[in-house]
Amino acid sequence: MRILTLGWEFPPFFAGGVGMVCHELTRALSQRGLGITYVMPFGPEHVESDFVKLVVASRLSKYTNLKIKTVRSTLTAYTTEHEYSERVQQLQQVIADDRDKSRTLYGRDLFDEIHKYAIRVRALAEMEEFDIIHAHDWTTFPAAVGAKHASGKPLIVHVHITQFDMVGGDGQINQMAYDIERYGMQEADIIIAVSDYIKNRLVSQYGIPEHKIRVLHNAATPMNNSIGAGPLKIKSTDKIVLFAGRVTLQKGPDYFVQAARLVLDKDPNVKFVMAGTGDMLHRMIELSADLGMSDKFIFPGFYSRHDAEQLFAMADCFVMPSVSEPFGIVPLEAMQKGTPVIVSRQSGVAEVLRNALKVDFWDTTDTANKILAVLKYRELSDHLTEHGTIEVQSMTWDRYAQRLEEVYGELLLQVKH
Amino acid sequence: MVSVCFYFQVHQPYRLRRYSMFDIGHNHHYFDDHKNAEVARKVARKCYLPMNNLLLEQIRHHKGKFKIAFSITGTAIEQFREYAPEVLESFKELARTGCVEFLDETYYHSLSYLYSKEEFSEQVNMHRKLMEKEFGQSPTVFRNTELIYNNELANHVESLGYKGIIAEGWDAMLGWRSPNFIYQSEYTTDIKTLLKNYKLSDDIAFRFGNKGWEEHPLTVDKFRDWLNKVNGNGHTVNLFMDYETFGEHQWEDTGIFDFMRHLPHAVLEHPDNDFKTPSEVVQSYDSVGRIDAHDYVSWADAERDLTAWLGNKMQEASLKELYKLEAQVKAARDPAMLNDWRKLTTSDHFYYMCTKWFADGDVHKYFSPYESPYEAYIAFMNVIQDMKLRLENRSEEMNPSAQEASTI
Repeated sequence: MRILTLGWEFPPFFAGGVGMVCHELTRALSQRGLGITYVMPFGPEHVESDFVKLVVASRLSKYTNLKIKTVRSTLTAYTTEHEYSERVQQLQQVIADDRDKSRTLYGRDLFDEIHKYAIRVRALAEMEEFDIIHAHDWTTFPAAVGAKHASGKPLIVHVHITQFDMVGGDGQINQMAYDIERYGMQEADIIIAVSDYIKNRLVSQYGIPEHKIRVLHNAATPMNNSIGAGPLKIKSTDKIVLFAGRVTLQKGPDYFVQAARLVLDKDPNVKFVMAGTGDMLHRMIELSADLGMSDKFIFPGFYSRHDAEQLFAMADCFVMPSVSEPFGIVPLEAMQKGTPVIVSRQSGVAEVLRNALKVDFWDTTDTANKILAVLKYRELSDHLTEHGTIEVQSMTWDRYAQRLEEVYGELLLQVKH
Repeated sequence: MVSVCFYFQVHQPYRLRRYSMFDIGHNHHYFDDHKNAEVARKVARKCYLPMNNLLLEQIRHHKGKFKIAFSITGTAIEQFREYAPEVLESFKELARTGCVEFLDETYYHSLSYLYSKEEFSEQVNMHRKLMEKEFGQSPTVFRNTELIYNNELANHVESLGYKGIIAEGWDAMLGWRSPNFIYQSEYTTDIKTLLKNYKLSDDIAFRFGNKGWEEHPLTVDKFRDWLNKVNGNGHTVNLFMDYETFGEHQWEDTGIFDFMRHLPHAVLEHPDNDFKTPSEVVQSYDSVGRIDAHDYVSWADAERDLTAWLGNKMQEASLKELYKLEAQVKAARDPAMLNDWRKLTTSDHFYYMCTKWFADGDVHKYFSPYESPYEAYIAFMNVIQDMKLRLENRSEEMNPSAQEASTI
């Protein structure tokens, strides 16, 4: 079986969460004997991977006589305009030492890039051999639908996040992006959602019939066991409570700060680390000061994957108070490091985790109650550590790929009839 | 001759509310009155009232030949009084027929035998008085919480004056022997042990409505035939189960009520069969031999051991913390505090903390008011912290020189 996989990112040609998921799942599928052609929009001229045929769409002109017109659009929308440009900057920094291989990773205008990518993929679809098209997230959906029409092959679209999650629930969504999402889902033969949480959203807010949706919860990517000094120096007698992720509305950093205040009222020997950057970071620094916690909060800013491992290893408790989290893979990483985790019930990962404490993101009293319980009750944190580690080890990408293969099989059968 | 001996367990715990760290020192109200009332009324409607009515009907119809036994905990009776008095009234009406026997157990459905023999005796005494007061009976047969049992326990219960004791007829303890006879535990003098026939009991209690079970649907005729097969190689078939089986675990639409309505007649059709209460079984049959229950057995889960309440460190720690307070709570001579403490001894609180997810997880989940065992542990431990604080404040009042401030 050969799969034409469409994704916006692929490590090491940068990866956010979705890129990592695509990487792990592509590798697991290829280990199960599936052939995969992975098409990403940008990248260096020569790309190689030992388990997947990587194609960079923007370099396709050497195959074809494609002429691509630039679509004029004033909209940029990854999440918000601000965040998109911030992300572009961040990515360019990451690949700065690799500049000769890769010119630009993200276009200046996202809709223009989506359009260009779609035209290139459609041309590719006419040349490549494959059985199924598998497209990850909305930016690839126009390309995916084009490929379906060009090849007559069945289409799976994979929803890792929706516009509603990006704006944190009640913000104003981008209508153009929403239309693209819905169009892709309507044209797809099967939709994969990363959680029931997302599935319910697709049914209620995109009008997708339930029978078209399959839920596949993400697996956990193994962490390295690197040892070394942590990135932070904290008095060893203090307990450490960690937030790690983008500091944006969606991730609920303000609820973390509010809960911290309640915790400190009961137990002053606790430090709070808020790792990550985002458009709410400055407000969070101010808020922690306003609540008299300047000496209790540490904001280390942007962190690498290596830093993350150190942070998880040193934390006594990890909190993910997300307002709206389609899945939320970070708690799985913390659990691998043996750190007890508290996750909001408004997350996909809460659906699958047994050995985690769960809270409603708005209930800061309950969050503080559970943080204090983890810090105070030894048997509780020991049990969470021991069984959380075992649980997360069983969430393998191979098991995930096996389930995905079943979905592929189901789809091919469906097409036959 | 085969006797059929029915005993039904009736129990409701006082469930805790989601007692938070921020309640400690401020709020001494531990129990979820709303939830407890709701459950009591729901189970009354679905199980206790219709089933009591059905049994009363059958007892009257068979004119003394159909008999049953109950063990009802003190915490259940207290909640009936408060939330569903008509349930208590209907049990009293059953008691007045003379065909219904009441067994003794710990008033609070506790694990006190494992932690404090003194508290165990006090709770058994409380229960005995309650049975005398409510039903005019002095029980002679004892059942320990969740049928937790071993030789030493049988011996101890004998010393409290009981003639019979209930246990699970578990293969590991019985070996080749049949549960359909009366035995005596090692290290006892006269007390007889009635063993639950778990296969036939669980056919009703667990499998009745299971459409995947090969014997489904279980008809009265089929079950009667299984009972009759014991004729000639057993004295008594002991059918022991939770009373909530009827209408709550097995819903009405499984046909469980009709089954029970027709079973007495089908059993009595055979001239060799009869119904006996546990004390009648004890009087009618001699022990056929000794059993050696060296290790604890119970009727819970696939393991039939103590791991449903003592299977992880959280359960061990919370039980230990609870019983560590016993002497202080009793010395304080504060009836309200003692009452709270005793309600915390109910085994259900520890059952909710069970993490044997995968094999028996479903059963545990169904009976737990918590989202996870962790939530159960946090609420319980927070309550313990508050109780400690109450005790400390009390001793400061008595002894003002004690300055030690308490922190959490």
